[in-house]
Amino acid sequence: MDFQFDDNLVEFRQMVREAVKQDLPADIREGQRRFGGNQSDPHDSLTWTKILAKRGWSVPHWPVEYGGQNWSPMQLFVFQDELTRAFAPDTCWGGTHMCGPVIYTFGSEAQKERFLPAIINGDFYWAQGFSEPGNGSDLANLRTSATRKGDVYVVNGQKIWTSCAWMAEWGFFLVRTDPTVKPQRGISFLLINMKSPGITVRRIPQINGEAELCEVFLDNVEVPVENMVGEEGAGWTYAKFLLDHERTTSSFIYFNKRDLRIAQDIAANQMLDGVPLSKHPRFQGRLAQLEAEVTALEWSVLRVLANEQFQYNETAAASVLKVAGSRLQQTISELHLDLLGAQSIRQFPFEVHDRPNSPLWPDVTENANQRALIQRASTIYGGTMQVQKNIIAKLAFDL
Amino acid sequence: MDFNYSDLQRMLLDSAERFITEHFTLEHRRSLRDSANGLDEVAWATFAELGWLALAIPEDLGGLGGTQADIAVLAAATGGKCVSQPVISTAVLGTHILSGATAPRTELLEQIVGGAARIALVHGEPGERYAGAAPRAVTLTADGDGFAISGQKLLALDAPSATHLIVSAMLEGEGFALVLVEADSAGMSVENYPLLDGSRAADIRFETLRVHGDAVLATGKKAEALLMEALDRATLARLAQSVGSMEEILRICSAYLKERQQFGQPIGKFQALQHIMADMFVVTHQARSALYQALAHAELSAAERSRALSLAAITIGEAGQLVSRQGIQLHGGYGVTDEYEISHHYRYLLTLEKISGDLDYHMSRVGQA
Ligand SMILES: Cc1cc2nc3c(=O)[nH]c(=O)nc-3n(C[C@H](O)[C@H](O)[C@H](O)COP(=O)(O)OP(=O)(O)OC[C@H]3O[C@@H](n4cnc5c(N)ncnc54)[C@H](O)[C@@H]3O)c2cc1C
Repeated sequence: MDFQFDDNLVEFRQMVREAVKQDLPADIREGQRRFGGNQSDPHDSLTWTKILAKRGWSVPHWPVEYGGQNWSPMQLFVFQDELTRAFAPDTCWGGTHMCGPVIYTFGSEAQKERFLPAIINGDFYWAQGFSEPGNGSDLANLRTSATRKGDVYVVNGQKIWTSCAWMAEWGFFLVRTDPTVKPQRGISFLLINMKSPGITVRRIPQINGEAELCEVFLDNVEVPVENMVGEEGAGWTYAKFLLDHERTTSSFIYFNKRDLRIAQDIAANQMLDGVPLSKHPRFQGRLAQLEAEVTALEWSVLRVLANEQFQYNETAAASVLKVAGSRLQQTISELHLDLLGAQSIRQFPFEVHDRPNSPLWPDVTENANQRALIQRASTIYGGTMQVQKNIIAKLAFDL
Repeated sequence: MDFNYSDLQRMLLDSAERFITEHFTLEHRRSLRDSANGLDEVAWATFAELGWLALAIPEDLGGLGGTQADIAVLAAATGGKCVSQPVISTAVLGTHILSGATAPRTELLEQIVGGAARIALVHGEPGERYAGAAPRAVTLTADGDGFAISGQKLLALDAPSATHLIVSAMLEGEGFALVLVEADSAGMSVENYPLLDGSRAADIRFETLRVHGDAVLATGKKAEALLMEALDRATLARLAQSVGSMEEILRICSAYLKERQQFGQPIGKFQALQHIMADMFVVTHQARSALYQALAHAELSAAERSRALSLAAITIGEAGQLVSRQGIQLHGGYGVTDEYEISHHYRYLLTLEKISGDLDYHMSRVGQA
């Protein structure tokens, strides 16, 4: 065992920090700091992706031949940690972390040529069309159908919770191409232009005042057969590949670290009886407890990144990170509200530019509750808390 | 002991539930967000007709002389549909102070009963978490034959739709003073805004607002005691609203678990969810017990009353968070939309908890008492 980071990481971190300081426009950083959703403003995401691309940094985790950086897992960790810390927006995760890797691994040469550069440069947003109204946790039984007619698939059905579908130009969809075989075997992975005739998108108003989630209705949408990725009927395998690809993402470790710092900051600035909350034993205790949890989570992530040989199934290990990380996202945001007390319940408009200038209200009150409200979703999307626990029970312990 | 409703409470509850269920649909509540001050005028007129606005006023002052238990029964019914109308500010807090003032304000109480007047307490100030009985920075100073109020107030609940404000201030030589001010008086600048539950609040800056001597409702120890009583009564009513909301969440979620299908069966068949539902039931049951315990102490000495109330606030605050968090979890993605009841209950309970003094506040009140 060796518990030390490689020597070069300190320098690497410094190099990234300097670069982000130079590159990240102040208005985008402020927009992210004041954002009331759990990710980023999608337009800022694309702008930032373009900026990163100039350094070749928008998809550093990809293989070098497709535009990646050949950084070690630890370097990639430090890179993302620095970006989040500096309030840089995310890239469009659907492109850079989900369908991008599926395309370069299973896609045709034509698909690679057409889509990979666009993802690298943040040309447009990607929507993930997996979940359906009747099929969330039970995704394998999805019903949206794609029927081959000559050169096209005709797609009919409905998707829901499709993040940013209202402004996405392309979507990667799971569709049923064969209703006669075992559910998992009849699913295919289709790239669909969101401007195609027959697609209707409705934005869903959310608990936090945002309307990022969408319903997507597909009514006889014609999709050229060349937009199918890989083989017909192999879509489920690709979806699993995509979800397994990012084993440590679901720990939300970068966000947990950043949000803990925000909590420490609020505690240092909010006073009770003339003393900052950070000096009051009850809040001190809660901050310490969360710091302990975030620290342990970070080391759990490092163990995965350093390729520890696990005694248990690897998918179960990823679920451990999701269970701990998603719960932490919630407890930290709950602490933000508790630190703000009665000041935590004013509702500011979701859009930053609609918010009134109220000098009596600290900045953080503008979006702390919006973020805490949408954090309820972190134990729901990407496999609910209960589904993760089912996975652990089954794959780690064969129960 | 008898924990069953009296005939009067039964009647109150039946008429309340009937009206509230019919009137305060989800769509209706969502549409109220667009109104200028959040007030539902039709509902307010009905509240007056049903006698709710008179419930807490003593009989000799023209009210119904209801007990705090009667108020709790009604408040729990409003909580079931996340009603965020300014009922507690006016008909619990406001009426208590106006009835207990050195010279009771019968005329204004009459207007309240008829639905024409609404009251908001203007007490909190910047830089503090929960005001309680701490001295105010806002001052009341003698000015000719009257007084002048100056200073900054923060987060005055329900002020945007109030016709009258009760302002707490420090009067030299007296300590606390409670002053009645018409809401459209000159000499104040007001910023109105919504809270997470759809109710409204305001920050108010008094730039030497001049009032008559008879605007002073009470001063000194009497003012302080009256204010603390009124605040505790309002908190108690809000705790009852929370309990009502939680009980409705149990109903909503148990129905959802039977209706929603995944993996070819109702999700209520999954034991993981059955246990979550059972946990929600346990803490909701405890919450109602805590409410009764607070009601049992509600008319005792200030120290006994406040301590019992804070114990209830701790139990109910924690229960409310557990129940509404898990309520969302049980709904999956539907839980985080604005289009399902459950997210409204979440925001409602969060708002009630944070208004009434958070856990830290109530824990230190219990610890110190
Ligand atoms: C903010 C957000 C963003 C999202 N973004 C996208 C996106 O871009 N693209 C996309 O395709 N999807 C997206 N989703 C959808 C997400 O993946 C689903 O919400 C999730 O899979 C749960 O499905 P459901 O909402 O249908 O809930 P359900 O599956 O109906 O779950 C309801 C309840 O039942 C429980 N449950 C279900 N099955 C079991 C079981 N076997 N054992 C025990 N309990 C069980 C769940 O844990 C939950 O508590 C997003 C969701 C959210 C909230």
